[in-house]
Amino acid sequence: MSPQQFDPTKPPLATIEFEFDGHRVRAESGQSVAGALHAAGEHIVSRSFKYHRPRGLLCMSGRCPNCICTVDGTPNVRICTQAAKPGMVVKSQNAWPSVKFDLLRIFDKLHRFMPVGFYYKSMYKPRWMWPVWEKFIRRIAGLGTINREHGAEGVYDKQNLFTDVAVIGGGLAGLNAALAAAEGGVTVTLIDEQPELGGHLRHDPELAAELTRSVSEGERSTTPTNPSQLERSPSLTLRVSESVGDLIRRVTEHPAITVITSAGVFGCYEGNYLGIQQGQRMIRLRAAQVIVATGCWERPLVFENNDLPGVMLASGVQRLLHLDHCQFPGEAVVVTDNAQGYRVAKQLKAAGTRITAIVDVRDNPPDSADGIPTFRGHTIISANGSRHVSGAVIAPLAGHPRQSLSCRWIVQAVGFTPANSLLYQNGCKLRYDESVDQAVVTQYAPAMYSAGAVNGVRDPHAAALDGQRAGATAASEVSGTALAAGRDASQSHISPAASAVPLSQSAPSCHYVSPSGAKKKFVCLCEDVTEKDICDAIDEGYSNIETLKRYSTVSMGPCQGKMCQSASIAICARHNGQSIVETGVTTARPPEQPLPMGVLAGRTVHFSLVRRTPMHAWHEKAGAKMGDAGNWKRPQVYSSVTQEYEAVRQRAGVIDVTTHGKIELRGADVVKFLEFIYPNRFANLKVGRVRYGVICDDAGILLDDGTIARLREDRFFLTTTTGNADAIDSWFRWWLAGRPDWDVRMTNVSGSYAAMNLAGPRSREVLKKLTDADLSSDAMPYLAASECTIVGVSAIVLRIGFVGELGYEIHVPSQFGLHVWESILEAGREFSIAPFGLEAQRVLRLEKKHLLPGIDTDALSNPLEADMPWIVKLDKEDFIGKESLARAQARGDRNKLVGFRLSESVIPDLASLVLCDGKLGGRITSCGYSPAAGGTVGLAWVPANLSRNGQTIQIQVNGRLIPAVVQDEPFYDPAGMKLKS
Amino acid sequence: MASQRMWQEHELKDQYDVVIIGGGVHGLATAYYLTQLGVRNIAVLEAKYIGFGGSGRNTAIVRSNYRTPEGIAFYDLSVKLYEQLAADLDFNVMFSQHGHLTLAHNEKGVTGLTERANTNQLMGVNSRIIFPEEIQQIVPDLNVFGHSRFPIQAALYHPPGGIIRHDAVVWAFARGVDRGGGHVHQKTEVTGIEVQNGQVEAVVTNRGRIKTKTVLNATAGYAGIISRMVGLEIPIETHPLQAAVTEPLKPFLNSVIVSSTLHVYVSQTDRGELVLGAEVDDHSSYSLRGTLSFLEGAATHLLELFPHLASVKILRQWAGLCDMTPDYSPIMGGTPDVKGFLMTVGWGTYGFKAGPASGYLMAELIASGKTPPKLEPFALTRFYEDRLVGEKAAASVSH
Repeated sequence: MSPQQFDPTKPPLATIEFEFDGHRVRAESGQSVAGALHAAGEHIVSRSFKYHRPRGLLCMSGRCPNCICTVDGTPNVRICTQAAKPGMVVKSQNAWPSVKFDLLRIFDKLHRFMPVGFYYKSMYKPRWMWPVWEKFIRRIAGLGTINREHGAEGVYDKQNLFTDVAVIGGGLAGLNAALAAAEGGVTVTLIDEQPELGGHLRHDPELAAELTRSVSEGERSTTPTNPSQLERSPSLTLRVSESVGDLIRRVTEHPAITVITSAGVFGCYEGNYLGIQQGQRMIRLRAAQVIVATGCWERPLVFENNDLPGVMLASGVQRLLHLDHCQFPGEAVVVTDNAQGYRVAKQLKAAGTRITAIVDVRDNPPDSADGIPTFRGHTIISANGSRHVSGAVIAPLAGHPRQSLSCRWIVQAVGFTPANSLLYQNGCKLRYDESVDQAVVTQYAPAMYSAGAVNGVRDPHAAALDGQRAGATAASEVSGTALAAGRDASQSHISPAASAVPLSQSAPSCHYVSPSGAKKKFVCLCEDVTEKDICDAIDEGYSNIETLKRYSTVSMGPCQGKMCQSASIAICARHNGQSIVETGVTTARPPEQPLPMGVLAGRTVHFSLVRRTPMHAWHEKAGAKMGDAGNWKRPQVYSSVTQEYEAVRQRAGVIDVTTHGKIELRGADVVKFLEFIYPNRFANLKVGRVRYGVICDDAGILLDDGTIARLREDRFFLTTTTGNADAIDSWFRWWLAGRPDWDVRMTNVSGSYAAMNLAGPRSREVLKKLTDADLSSDAMPYLAASECTIVGVSAIVLRIGFVGELGYEIHVPSQFGLHVWESILEAGREFSIAPFGLEAQRVLRLEKKHLLPGIDTDALSNPLEADMPWIVKLDKEDFIGKESLARAQARGDRNKLVGFRLSESVIPDLASLVLCDGKLGGRITSCGYSPAAGGTVGLAWVPANLSRNGQTIQIQVNGRLIPAVVQDEPFYDPAGMKLKS
Repeated sequence: MASQRMWQEHELKDQYDVVIIGGGVHGLATAYYLTQLGVRNIAVLEAKYIGFGGSGRNTAIVRSNYRTPEGIAFYDLSVKLYEQLAADLDFNVMFSQHGHLTLAHNEKGVTGLTERANTNQLMGVNSRIIFPEEIQQIVPDLNVFGHSRFPIQAALYHPPGGIIRHDAVVWAFARGVDRGGGHVHQKTEVTGIEVQNGQVEAVVTNRGRIKTKTVLNATAGYAGIISRMVGLEIPIETHPLQAAVTEPLKPFLNSVIVSSTLHVYVSQTDRGELVLGAEVDDHSSYSLRGTLSFLEGAATHLLELFPHLASVKILRQWAGLCDMTPDYSPIMGGTPDVKGFLMTVGWGTYGFKAGPASGYLMAELIASGKTPPKLEPFALTRFYEDRLVGEKAAASVSH
């Protein structure tokens, strides 16, 4: 951190202009949009969710909901963390006609008709009124408007990183933690959401200067710490008292530390898997150890009109002063319970603001006010003004007597809420500690520590030590030299109570809720939930903090509870007469900060995987109509289904079946494995033979089908359907995982082989031209499997016939797929061979009644009812699904997959229903015109009592019932002579 | 408006006629309908707070466009009960019936939806296949004709479907139970169930023992554990189901949009938040922690459908537990093995939308001792008799 960063007199680098609600605003380069609006006197930047009250800047740290605008078409952008850019178009939201004058402010006056949860008690009588009301609600609900023209602009990106120790937060604690860990000999990644390291010292120059001064004076830490802790950790060399700039330099220059700035950790997922957003990039960081040094943010005080523009958090004021070089003209009242209030009062005074008073809730604050009038034991009751603060009403804590002070600004420095969401997310146990008025860790999750203000350690020196302790401990855990300290948090971090004077020592508890008044006192700024709303909800019975949240919507808005959590818990506790500990907290859930979906999606939007076979370009050149089959592209038809059909039936055709899953199994126990996986038998499958098989699950449901070829004694080549290739791969691995002693080695070779099915009466003649292998019926009969060479390429050839003709399924290494494909077409030219697509194949296989798993079967189909009883060998030893199939066989078929011929020439839609006496009987699963049958044929699920050959079923087509006749035999070549020729 | 307490806190009595385990929509609805039938000496026991489990974690979709005649008839009853629930319970549960669209991006998807449309129509449920032009008219913001890896080919359009304010349903039922004379006991955890001679005799809780002859297991995530207390094994595997919600936006999406191919669904609440989710996690677990991969997947797929939402921000993600049965249908009714032990469990990802029907029919069963016909197909015995009600196709992402 360079000193000039804190210099408010630094001359502006350049002036730029942007647009806010149609008029031009000037900004210094580097200034935030919010800072520029503040400097320009634009103090109303948004309207509230429910009452449309004017809202101004509050936290300036991207935490509160007050400055949410639409920026360059992107809705709901916090303009306090958005740097102003030339030409930027900023628009206020949720206001009509404008943010300055919003007609819906009328709701603010109508609040007595809209108490907490009013919508649950109104608008539903009579019933037809609700849709009318809802239409109205949906017109006024929501914040920003999405822009239909605004797509995924810019480049979204993802990065995967690994580190030994991740340190989250680059403040004093985090910097020290990073250094201590790095010096422990491990790699460190330090992540901070601000553009520069330094944490809150970036906007608190006085504190930074104090630290620097203590270096020059050679002062050593005198902060009370836990001495035994330090004795046990010799690596914790005390170096707390160096200048912040030097510390940052040592961190950034350390070779073992990677610094990532402008990056927010939004989630800590299982196994220290951190999700980090850095602009449009998402970083996924896996860390052996995580140190949470995220600090805290200031919380607002709950008093009347506490949402008026001009009411700000002290740290927000500091950010505007020191990071955005803004001023606060006029008078200010500072309400505080800690040293921060005094520092900001002095800083404001130095910047030219007149401080009317410091209102300190403590009776005997130790801080010096430098001559500023101070009201001790007082608090703020109310802010005056309608569009901006014009004064403040203060009173002793008891509430009386009241007095009014004139001011334009009310600055609140009344304590902190720890940024502990990541600790909760990762399963750390925390408990409210009264001495620091915040939750602190009592039990860490594995491989996670925390340091600094998030632990309640707010004194800078103590925070530095706390960081060093955490860093050294994390490093020693990584390197296996873990200190004796256990996972019990009290043993492993500096006790917050012992670390410094608790800031709220003399402050009465729950002082951040001021005594009650008649006007609205906002707890939740996002949702316009007031203190009264919370009390009313509890009175109605919503007394559990989670139920209270859901009913009142407190903490459910864009700030995710950051501004309202402390106060809502305090009010809930008080109203229930419980302690804060008994009241508990609502669950912290990722993301810690709102996270754009574009960042989550990364580059993958519209770039889902597309898989192409080696012959893909050829198909396209041939004019094929391509279709999706999972991620694959497959030819549906080249020119004419009829011509392709005829080529296969009369001459020869070839289809690209590369997309099928292919698995190679080797080993002595493959047969045992196949016997276990498949319901049919494989022990008797001879080398050089291929067999059809179906796979069932435990319930006997048919999952997939394919072929199993035995190429050698212990080497098998299996195919699956295209759609189930991955699922069957997983299925095999799942069952193999539990059988480590079986000698089965599995290789998924789906991508290694191109495959094509050459079919038709002339196919043998075509293939003969390309190979020396003996293709005669004797040497290579139906269901033979062989390894041979085709046009110089080693191939696996299976004589199978899905389409019902003499055919060869040829598998060759992918890189030769196109070569073999072209060679086949060339060789087949004299026989007028044609490539055929899926549409022709569907008709061809339908004529053979060959089913397609997942098309002709569903999640209730077993092979018995799917017309394949012959494939289930219940006399085998155990196989997957045996018990279920045995039961199914014993009880008999209920439904059955049958072939049918329709009595008319129409072609019903797939999934047309089979009706029996007006009730659902079944549905058709495949259907088409069969040239062989000369009419419409198909497959359908029907009740078993209608499944016999020749029975008539009724199919509903366009509201009409058309009779069809069940047919057992295939519609083409019922004896299978062609197949075996 | 004077605020009136929604429910009272009672001492735990040592005897109730019916003890219902689980303070979610199923337990509370059953209790409510029991009080309507005059059975008032009843208690609902909730280990945490009402609506802690699936009832507070689901994405509040209500629909009846299921696949099987049994499922359709059952969920149709539920939709009808939901339609009159605000009036029945005198509480606005905000049932917005803006329609439900299940998208198909391939031929197999179109066929599956066609079958559902045909069956729905046969059963008298308003549901039909629509094609891209009409889809675009109903959802102007949907990427129907723009660039897409898997363009939308058709949709199953179900006009009565929609979303509801799930917490309100839970609270309203709880109030109904309270007003009807039943007791709702929060922070009351069941630790055991006493059975003698095959008959339930008592329920043991962390607050004391309750004598009762009738116990209803209306839990999710822990249904198996409760059933094991009476020695009953039920075929349930528990999987987490995740969801996320965005910051509020001016409402632009009225319908519920579901895509099984893209594993995502989305709706927009009356507050303007987009609620999105996916399928159940493929591994069995009791973890309620969300995962980053879920968020990445859901966002990626949602942007495929709505590319202009890239800068819209996720506010929260969460997970719930789903008790999945082998056929993706629930288990309702008693068991011949243990008298007095009843269950409405195995609600997978489709429990909330079934709450009123499940409660209505279970109450009838408990009060009359006779199984209503609409419950019969969902008996536990169907797993022994191989009479599954296969809803997987209609329930996987649609929930």
